[in-house]
Amino acid sequence: MEIFNALMHGFALAITPVNLLWCLVGCALGTAVGVLPGIGPAVAVAMLLPITAKVEVTASMIFFAGIYYGAMYGGSTTSILLNTPGETASMVTAMEGNKMAKSGRAGAALATAAIGSFFAGTIATVIVTLFAPYVAEFAVKLGPPEYFMLMLLAFTTISAVLGKSTLRGMTALFVGLAAGCIGLDQISGQGRYTGGIPEFLDGIEIVLVAVGLFAVAEVLYAVLYEGRVVDSQNKLSRVHMSARDWKRSVPAWLRGTAIGTPFGCIPAGGTEIPTFLSYAMEKKLAKGEDQAEFGTVGAIEGVAGPEAANNATVTAALIPLLTLGIPTSNTTAILLGAFQNYGIQPGPQLFTTSAALVWTLIASLYIGNVMLLVLNLPMVGLWVKLLKIPKPQLYAGILIFATVGAYGMRQSAFDLFLLYGIGVLGVIMRRFDFPTAPVVVGMILGPLAEAQLRNAMSIGEGSAAVFFQRPMSIALIIVVLAVVILPRLAKSMSDRKLRAAAG
Amino acid sequence: MTTSPSASPHNPDLWPQTLVGVGVLVVGLLLAFGALSISSEAGYGGVGPNFLPWVVSVALTVCGAWIIWEARTGGFREMEASGDWPKPDWGGFVWVSAGLLLNAALITAIGFILSCTLCYVLSVQGLRRAAGQTIANSPKTWVMDFLTGFLIAAPVFWAFTKFLAINLPGLTNTGWL
Repeated sequence: MEIFNALMHGFALAITPVNLLWCLVGCALGTAVGVLPGIGPAVAVAMLLPITAKVEVTASMIFFAGIYYGAMYGGSTTSILLNTPGETASMVTAMEGNKMAKSGRAGAALATAAIGSFFAGTIATVIVTLFAPYVAEFAVKLGPPEYFMLMLLAFTTISAVLGKSTLRGMTALFVGLAAGCIGLDQISGQGRYTGGIPEFLDGIEIVLVAVGLFAVAEVLYAVLYEGRVVDSQNKLSRVHMSARDWKRSVPAWLRGTAIGTPFGCIPAGGTEIPTFLSYAMEKKLAKGEDQAEFGTVGAIEGVAGPEAANNATVTAALIPLLTLGIPTSNTTAILLGAFQNYGIQPGPQLFTTSAALVWTLIASLYIGNVMLLVLNLPMVGLWVKLLKIPKPQLYAGILIFATVGAYGMRQSAFDLFLLYGIGVLGVIMRRFDFPTAPVVVGMILGPLAEAQLRNAMSIGEGSAAVFFQRPMSIALIIVVLAVVILPRLAKSMSDRKLRAAAG
Repeated sequence: MTTSPSASPHNPDLWPQTLVGVGVLVVGLLLAFGALSISSEAGYGGVGPNFLPWVVSVALTVCGAWIIWEARTGGFREMEASGDWPKPDWGGFVWVSAGLLLNAALITAIGFILSCTLCYVLSVQGLRRAAGQTIANSPKTWVMDFLTGFLIAAPVFWAFTKFLAINLPGLTNTGWL
């Protein structure tokens, strides 16, 4: 009941005309960003971070959440209609969605993606509403040792478990941690790695890293390697689902939501695993002629399930962000940066100190989902027009916005040179298949983890034994070890079985 | 992850991959050198401001060495064969780089709008050339690109400076250019 009242209060604040407008602009911008290739929600939020200097906190968080969400809706449109998926999150959608579009069922694929996203997003928002306050209540009891272990868990999963190569993931993570070290040490106040450059005393802005790694690197990569790539676009058909489509989509949405939500809640980022799991499950469960459609003309379940899983994960990822202050993806890391710009540190206290902000934000998620459904179903034709913008002009235009984000943050031309350097680094990382998410998460979370570590050690009076004396901390150490060891153990066992079968 | 080396012992990316490893290794060593001058003053926490820098520099040095080892023993693991990579278009890269660097150098001198328009014009040239567009060189394209760049940069400048009060440099003090 208490939660219900708080939520209603949030709705009352969220439906002021100004906040509704921010929500609508955010959703529309997010959809556009999702549709456009070469630019994603993380970089869009990063480019717009300078507005935090002027816009009031509730309005800008509603705005950023709208972008975050909207991009997921827009991304599926691109992956269904173009043969190159926009976001990594929609890679799986592209597999079946593309085939459906090729066989003239683009409309049905778009409809099941949009309605499925709405469905999963809303259910996951209900779960955020119901559970986040309890997680926060529980999290208040955690001390620095537990926080440090939670952050260690996030680092481990994002670098060593997700992604193809542990070595390259770890390298990326440590590059991010190194970037996070630059500037004043927050506990002792002394400068680290400033190299006598005054700009470095303030540290490196997250905007620079995100815009450099994603926007500038994307443009440089495109000019280097993708000049001759010709995109082919599928024809849009009427956005409509038949009774049979509904019958096949609804269970897939439910299953996708059930798979995606828990993945969002745990401090282990990425939508790749839940979307792929959902796809595998739908393929397995399909029978007869439905199953024959997988990989041939495109099965609607293969779009409905992963899309729902994607949105459920993305929404549920707000639980660790808001209650623990732990981001699990690029975009949530940058949202954390936005909170920090206001001097707000997300964490268990957020629900008591900034209750109005949190509940308004959650209320806006419900509203945003409805707006996005309207924006993406009847108006899908409008967004598809964005795909007609020629690549050279689009990419060159992105650079103008990148300049606004990078320069607007602290009015320094030095930052623009740094931006170019980070862009070149991003191209090298992409060329040699280094993941970028660990860099961003490492950079944002690194200083926080360091502070927790040093506080924990102070509690233990200089002894690391403090990590082994508290039950929650030990449990988390075991979880960290398990996520590192178990997948490898499973892999070597299956390898052995394969070899035994072959031999 | 130490899986067995990929099927072909010959690694076409041998030198580029080795260079990446050397780069990581050098960064690790430089960070270690920098960490020497950070105080270890730990108070009663036992862990001082130089602890994380040391962890990071040792880790990056090890990662760099490991990357070099992978490159020398059949190439990066868990990666697509690099024979499929198209040849990079360095000409286009130079155009875009020139656009970005000139933008950084000139933004305070000629203002946001003109500087970004220049960046746009140069970048679009590079991208057009990389895509093999023959019209890239025609005067008409240059004029069109200049106008397009201006028509993106100017409204962006006004929107951000007038509505959101973000400071962007102008050429004049009028606030409009």
